[in-house]
Amino acid sequence: MSREISQTPNIDNSNSPSTVTENEDPKKPPNYKRISDDDLYRHSSQYRIWSFTKDNLRERRQQTNQRAIALINEKLGKFIEEKKSTLTEDELQTLRAKASPLSMEEEFQLINFYSKKVQVIAQHLNLPTEVIATSITFFRRFFLDNSVMEFDPKNLVHTTIFLACKSENYFISVDSFAKKAKSNREAILKYEFKLVESLKFSLLNHHPYKPLHGFFLDIQTILYGKVDLKYMGQIYDRCKKKITDALLTDIVYLFTPPQITLAIILMEDEQLISRYLEMKFGKDITNNTEDEKKEENKDVNETKPGKTEDKTKTPNDIELDKLLVVIGQCVDVLEKSESVTTEDAKRVAAKNYYCQNPSILLQKLKRKLEASGDDNGSESPSKKPKVEQ
Amino acid sequence: MSSQFKQLEKLGNGTYATVYKGLNKTTGVYVALKEVKLDSEEGTPSTAIREISLMKELKHENIVRLYDVIHTENKLTLVFEYMDNDLKKYMDSLTVGNNPQGLELHLVKYFQWQLLEGLAFCHENKILHRDLKPQNLLINKRGQLKLGDFGLARAFGIPVNTFSSEVVTLWYRAPDVLMGSRTYTTSIDIWSCGCILAEMITGKPLFPGTNDEEQLKLIFEMMGMPTEANWPGVSQLPKYATSSASFQQQYPQQQQSKDLKVLLQANCKEKLDDVVINLLHGLLQLNPDMRLSAKQALHHTWFSEYYQRQT
Repeated sequence: MSREISQTPNIDNSNSPSTVTENEDPKKPPNYKRISDDDLYRHSSQYRIWSFTKDNLRERRQQTNQRAIALINEKLGKFIEEKKSTLTEDELQTLRAKASPLSMEEEFQLINFYSKKVQVIAQHLNLPTEVIATSITFFRRFFLDNSVMEFDPKNLVHTTIFLACKSENYFISVDSFAKKAKSNREAILKYEFKLVESLKFSLLNHHPYKPLHGFFLDIQTILYGKVDLKYMGQIYDRCKKKITDALLTDIVYLFTPPQITLAIILMEDEQLISRYLEMKFGKDITNNTEDEKKEENKDVNETKPGKTEDKTKTPNDIELDKLLVVIGQCVDVLEKSESVTTEDAKRVAAKNYYCQNPSILLQKLKRKLEASGDDNGSESPSKKPKVEQ
Repeated sequence: MSSQFKQLEKLGNGTYATVYKGLNKTTGVYVALKEVKLDSEEGTPSTAIREISLMKELKHENIVRLYDVIHTENKLTLVFEYMDNDLKKYMDSLTVGNNPQGLELHLVKYFQWQLLEGLAFCHENKILHRDLKPQNLLINKRGQLKLGDFGLARAFGIPVNTFSSEVVTLWYRAPDVLMGSRTYTTSIDIWSCGCILAEMITGKPLFPGTNDEEQLKLIFEMMGMPTEANWPGVSQLPKYATSSASFQQQYPQQQQSKDLKVLLQANCKEKLDDVVINLLHGLLQLNPDMRLSAKQALHHTWFSEYYQRQT
């Protein structure tokens, strides 16, 4: 794809009007519209539909949570109303204490826990990196607008992975997928359309792996002779892994893929990225012609940072200070995101289960009372919802 | 939901679906309804998933717009922008008796410009169309042309080397693909653009082969046999040896390409100038690396009247 622009076709008739190329011809129309990489990213559905401010994001989750809470409370109210005459005080108390809807924070914990699960299962299925990344992305986007109280996240794990295979053009039949994933066709396909719809039919993702590739090529060019190639290879592999982990956080909604990439390289080797950025965008050293050439060659230079910069600016105009601030913010978010313990996830999953199935909570209470009444001491195995290991 | 649209006559069959004309009852606007059956055991067909995925990214005046996706019990309906006609049907309608007629050159230029504009946008978005042919170029009475049917399209990144070679209708298929190259990229669409340009000029398909071998033969007869000298690496392609042997057996002497201008002029009423022939050569380079990019083609002198008008 990175064809040399200067390679114009050989046409034997040298008198015929020559082909105009982007770089060389002085007659290049000055007003001919040029689309920058930033423009392209701004046109992408990832930017248009799936990029938020922190407040937007919180608001959106709150809405989803509150809608589900209202539904759950209505159902619980009905349940209690219907059984009121038969319920004991004990039972009522248990219901009030344990059958309550999840908070936004609890939902978020459960989503994070299952996002990790998506990653682990997809990796276990030996899927390519991009498919794994898309699976995680689909899963998390689904639960921006759908509550875990409406759709058990457990039921969407395989569905998102299977859809990611389709949209990333990684062919696998549903039956062999089901066999490998130890699931079944019906379960995998049940929510497929609901998923596609919740994703607003926007399925094309821009993951940070391509920017990572681009930056590594560029770092080796800019810092030619100053970096050890073997070391670069090791860093590359570590960064790639970290990118997949970053997809498990909210970072993808708040920053562009190249910004995330720079933040991740910085977390690996701050000195390396500082030297690189200083050489590339620092005021004294920048070589104009070199950078202009890069700007023309879109295919190689698709990883240009500063997607939010004004489109008329060339890379020379990227303000290093500003860029460093953005990368710093990005690092901050990455460092602050913590994983959910299985214990917490279990607790939230149980709560989620009981608020939707109050009768089971009552059965459990009954069995517990009977067990202690038997004076047996041994509690009968309660039917607890399972968080898959 | 789907009752929002009234289904009218059938427009044709796409790569994996049936297309109907439809009327949006609330707005009175015509649409094209592409119906995908969901009886497949695989859930939503991956072709549909891919087309939806790509069309969501491609908002351009020379690419047909996807307005909406509707899901009903056992089918999926993609609601597209409606266009009156396609280039194939339009050219067929110009046939006089048994003689196909080319389009007027000013219209050829306008169509080709729009084709390249739409394609450049696809390529900038890292999307290959892979099935460009007159049937997939939709036109309307105002002379607008839009790329349609992205059922075979796909996104590409680096590296690109695992594409199937069974794409693009034979007549518009590039020689590298015909010889079994699996590493093709945007240049595959450019070759198709060249074939379409010639076809618009004369009204006849440029290389109407009936099988892979004949297709290559027709191309080599016109453009010459590729060699390591003008196309480094060509001899490594899987089907190079056989096609080259049979070609040389048939034409022991011929090495030079035919004069494209003379050939096209024979089927064109207006006088062809060197500029358009130069562009055509740029699009129809045998060596994929030598073909123009869509963007370069848009800067070709033949289009100067268009880009000079841009503000």
